[in-house]
Amino acid sequence: MADQILQFLLTGITVGATYALVALGFAIIYNASDVVNFAQGEFVMIGAMSAVALSAGDGGLPMPVALLLAVLITVGVGVLLQRFAIAPARGASVVTTIIITIGASIFLRGVALLVWGKDIFALPAFSGDAPIHIGQATLLPQNLWVMGGAGLMVLGVHWFFGHTTIGKAVLACSCNRTAAHLVGINVGLMMLIAYGLSAFLGAMAGVLVAPITFTSYDAGVMLGLKGFAAAILGGMGNPMGAVAGGLLLGLIESLSAGLISSGYKDAIGFVILLLVLFFRPSGLFGRASVERV
Amino acid sequence: MKRLRGLFLLTLLVVILPLLFPDNYYVTVVAVSAALHAILAVGLNLLMGYAGLISLGHAAFFGIGAYTSGIVTTRFGLDPWSAMAAGMLLTGTIAFVMARPILRLKGHYLAMATLGLGIIVQIVLVQTEELTGGPDGLGGIPPLSLFGWEVDSDLRWYMLMSAVMLLVVWLALNIIDSRSGRALRALHGSEVAAEMMGIDTTVTKTGVFVVAALSASLAGSLFAHQQAFISPDSFNFFFSIELVTMVVLGGMASTFGAVFGAFVLTFLPELLVIFEDYEVMIFGAILMLMMIFLPQGLFVGLRDLLRRLLQQQRAPAPAPVVPAGEDKHDAA
Amino acid sequence: MTLLEVQGLTKSFGGVTAIADLGFDVPEGQVYSVIGPNGAGKTTLFNMLSGIYHPDEGSIHFQGREIIGLQPHKMAAMGLSRTFQNLQMFFNMSVLDNVMVGCHLRTGSGLFSAALRLPGVVREEREARRLAREALSFCDLERFVDQRADALPYGVLKRLEIARALAVGPKLLLMDEPAAGLNDTETAEMQRLIRCICERGITVLLVEHNMGLVMRVSDRILVLDYGTRLAEGTPLEIQNDRRVIEAYLGGEVQYAV
Repeated sequence: MADQILQFLLTGITVGATYALVALGFAIIYNASDVVNFAQGEFVMIGAMSAVALSAGDGGLPMPVALLLAVLITVGVGVLLQRFAIAPARGASVVTTIIITIGASIFLRGVALLVWGKDIFALPAFSGDAPIHIGQATLLPQNLWVMGGAGLMVLGVHWFFGHTTIGKAVLACSCNRTAAHLVGINVGLMMLIAYGLSAFLGAMAGVLVAPITFTSYDAGVMLGLKGFAAAILGGMGNPMGAVAGGLLLGLIESLSAGLISSGYKDAIGFVILLLVLFFRPSGLFGRASVERV
Repeated sequence: MKRLRGLFLLTLLVVILPLLFPDNYYVTVVAVSAALHAILAVGLNLLMGYAGLISLGHAAFFGIGAYTSGIVTTRFGLDPWSAMAAGMLLTGTIAFVMARPILRLKGHYLAMATLGLGIIVQIVLVQTEELTGGPDGLGGIPPLSLFGWEVDSDLRWYMLMSAVMLLVVWLALNIIDSRSGRALRALHGSEVAAEMMGIDTTVTKTGVFVVAALSASLAGSLFAHQQAFISPDSFNFFFSIELVTMVVLGGMASTFGAVFGAFVLTFLPELLVIFEDYEVMIFGAILMLMMIFLPQGLFVGLRDLLRRLLQQQRAPAPAPVVPAGEDKHDAA
Repeated sequence: MTLLEVQGLTKSFGGVTAIADLGFDVPEGQVYSVIGPNGAGKTTLFNMLSGIYHPDEGSIHFQGREIIGLQPHKMAAMGLSRTFQNLQMFFNMSVLDNVMVGCHLRTGSGLFSAALRLPGVVREEREARRLAREALSFCDLERFVDQRADALPYGVLKRLEIARALAVGPKLLLMDEPAAGLNDTETAEMQRLIRCICERGITVLLVEHNMGLVMRVSDRILVLDYGTRLAEGTPLEIQNDRRVIEAYLGGEVQYAV
């Protein structure tokens, strides 16, 4: 039993790490522009699918090059999304921006469908398939890649916002756009950076996890929803809360799939999310906003 | 009656359409699902457009209504009308219980909670196989009959569905134009001020959530009897999103906008079929473009444009007064 | 007779005390003003009186009844209404509808009778419209009746908030800086309006920065400083109170009034 639980925990952390990256992307865009980007899952899909397409076949590029290009393509998509879909709609209501990003996600899915069809693809594992045994539990090298990669990126984002001028400038925009503009910050550029960074995180999640979960044109949908759920669970305004929310959601799903029922695992995740919101309406680590009248 | 002019026009349209194009696929089939979607969108618009409470899980109530009708008629042999009532009772109760905790949430948290509710209901529909038939769906749901009038042809479904749609539109217009409707809009405008005006915001939110859920349940029952077969896929997250899109596309806080949005979004995919592989992409692009360039919605945007043109024609005033929108039609 | 009785009221936000052991009585039928420098706790006080914040300690009696813990809509039902410092208008509605919302408590039809538009509902609508128009004309806003609230200038919105609050049919009206942002003409109109409200038998509790207006319009004045009571009395007494002058103008300038 204990070994089984260890296995569930390891799986949960791997899945959770993916969610955490997607959730982090949500939180960054939300903080920078007050938009919940429902196309976040599509970043994951585009990253993974481009990596597969670029590396596959005889004329395929070497893996590291393919991965790098795939991530760059996704960042490009993120920047274009901001520039041509989000920026023109500034000042639109919450619901309108939600529909715009949903439109964008459908559009990107449509493009993927057109380019790659409905097939399911797999990316080869980065460093072989030899399982690693920890007690009775097993772990694939790719799981370590996911955990390690996610960990590194979370630290990187933390450092970016805490210790670089650009990171602080992005944060300033999220606090007060007008004030940021007045002190000479190029708000438009900061928005592009936020969306680019978000797309980067999504693409990284995509390429890291593609060898384990496979990928297809609609692989981003569920991941996007889970990422959103994780970001809300942690508290939207708090990027590190989003990371914690992602890990937590991954663990909850993995444990409930193993111990209760795999059919209900998603439902259990959402039930717990609802319960958390009922008692903490701003998420686990979010701060309650006080309405000023 | 100026107040009901729009409803009158809509009724006229609904009556004339099959006379002009009998046996047309778009009238007897597509328009029926458009009318069904309109019922859902009008209800959701009360919640979203007027009260400003977003719901990304409205398909759940549609599904509960449909499945209650399906299960109760096929497995317990109840007649369709009682089944419909049972569906509304169940949906209303669930909505009532869930309303209080869920509607305390705001903005994106509310969006997430309703989205979660929708997904939970969908999973339950898939998993409770012995009752719902699981992912394979539930078939053999009997058709409706009204005082011996069997609703068994496409045209008859057109009549029934349109009639219910008109009824729901009428009810919605009445609600908006009343004390309760003003309370809803006030809630959207400023919750604190609404409270200070003596409006019990919790009760008001619960009320509108239940009403929206009831109309969704009604639509669900009609859908189940019309299709004779239902599966969980009809009630998934995407359908919830589609409903929200209908409301926003038509124009928030406009009942006819919701109807319009429902029709546009039902007909659009039918028309995009000719693009085959490009369909999904084009649909997404249209959605984005419309929201970017007409954020107030297609119906409201076009209506305001039309009004401005008319006003300019009548009197070439340089700056026309901002039209009071849907709020105006209470000058009965 | 005392309409509002406040005793030992205390409220702090994360260790910062906004209101400390505050007590005062508002007599019925008067204009009672609360003044004090920025951050003295005036708006916090209003938010507690109208049930938006809950005080840490103390009691608030309205018409002899304890009202702490009641939700704002319950207070409205008892006859307490207010306006807001930063406008809380229903910008998505017409001017008439805004004020008709104020008539919410004076009408009673529910969601279902409204949906079916029963004859009672139609009658009630007519009555609500009449009451709303009355409140609008009292505030000299008739000509804006059919406009949307978001199309109105600031000064008009300030009066619209008052019309809406009056439509509730209050016994006590809390006004949070009604003259802020108004020009001299508008301020003079506001002064007249406040007196008219009082003459209708509605007690006014006023927070305002415009000292000229306060001195002219008030029957009694309470001066707050750092959330405590600095002085209380008639406008004349306040104007000659040394502590008030010191608090407002600094210690070194004395007898400045």
